[in-house]
Amino acid sequence: MLAVDLTGDSVKAKNGAMVAYEGDMTFKKRTGGGEGLRGMVTRRLTGEQMEVMEVKGHGTCYFADRASEINLVSLHGEKLYVEAGNLLCTDAALRTGTSFTGLRGSAQGNGLFTTTVEGTGQAALVSHGAAIVLRVTPQTPLQVDPGAYVAHTGNLKQHFQSGVNFRALIGESGGEAFQIRFEGEGLVYVQPSERNTIGGEI
Amino acid sequence: MNGPVIHDAYTLPVDDNVNPYAFSVELDGQWFLQKGKMVAYYGQIGFQGIGLGRLDRLVAGSFHSPLHAAEWVVAEGKGKMVLADRAFDVNSYDLDDGNLTIRSGNLLAYQPSLALKQSIVPGFLTLIGTGKFVAASNGPVVFMEPPIRVDPQALVGWADCPTPNHHYDHEYLRGVMGGIRAHTGLGGTSGEEHQFEFVGAGTVLLQSTEDLMEEIAVGATGGTGS
Repeated sequence: MLAVDLTGDSVKAKNGAMVAYEGDMTFKKRTGGGEGLRGMVTRRLTGEQMEVMEVKGHGTCYFADRASEINLVSLHGEKLYVEAGNLLCTDAALRTGTSFTGLRGSAQGNGLFTTTVEGTGQAALVSHGAAIVLRVTPQTPLQVDPGAYVAHTGNLKQHFQSGVNFRALIGESGGEAFQIRFEGEGLVYVQPSERNTIGGEI
Repeated sequence: MNGPVIHDAYTLPVDDNVNPYAFSVELDGQWFLQKGKMVAYYGQIGFQGIGLGRLDRLVAGSFHSPLHAAEWVVAEGKGKMVLADRAFDVNSYDLDDGNLTIRSGNLLAYQPSLALKQSIVPGFLTLIGTGKFVAASNGPVVFMEPPIRVDPQALVGWADCPTPNHHYDHEYLRGVMGGIRAHTGLGGTSGEEHQFEFVGAGTVLLQSTEDLMEEIAVGATGGTGS
């Protein structure tokens, strides 16, 4: 559960994530992820839809989502890439957008696009089990199971890596056939659990 | 509020827990791994299915469970590997020339210095030898000593004691009502008429839930790779 203290300012949160509040709050539905008409159209087109509300007022607001773990990420101007389903709420000052992810998204069954959060402030991520933060440096690239990936920040290049060989075709696969390989400089958030993915069973 | 702990390739624990739900293995050689339990890794690690080929000798020495072959892979190489399973509690255990039987779905990984055998009890695997293994449980594991009767769903495994037997509450099926119950199923049951009974010296491992890990049907050939 996440407690947010508000003093007249506002946060953007996933629709329906509020479980309780103290004080005066107003909840306003924002269409299409809260970045104007253009963003709304983009989200419709890309399928990376996000139901967002704006919470404004004085007091404390409590958010939760299916008893998942909540992880706070502080952003100082950098960009956070996260799946819309894993984003619980953000400071109103943070800008959200969509970006193309390519093959990784399709392997996760999450579509080809992902949500970006940019600016300075805090964002709350939900994950199944407390997320592990892993640093990637040019010397130590990281491979992540697509089903366990939650989010990442920093200047990272992602490749889709597959260990499929002829043995996979005859049913003796390695079971960990697909990974996302992160190279560069940044942080990757991984959950201790695997979503069901299209590639996950291969 | 403090930020989360940031791990990198050097600060990840060596063969220890990262948090209650994730375990980091420093790999230099080979480990047996259940499919789909690796969430991330650093370094050069390859995953090989268990079958004929260059792993033949390793499999001959450490893997005696053909029914489960489709669920297991060998991780080979050098690096650090993070293991986790559905955000269940994960722990490592050391065996010193011992034996331990565990529900097949709960075992995540083990060192090849251990040998994996199929238990006589269906759905369970026995590890024999010396080495480390990683297992998951829904909620922390509770250790009990026989004599004890346990709910089959709460049982994670047992060590050093004789194989359990089934125990049924006979009382429940006696008399006129019991007869009706036994023959028609009418009248309802408490759901606790059947237990596993342990006797002798040893340790019984229980989890604090009756939620089972999803079990993969054994006996199928070709595995999930199709």
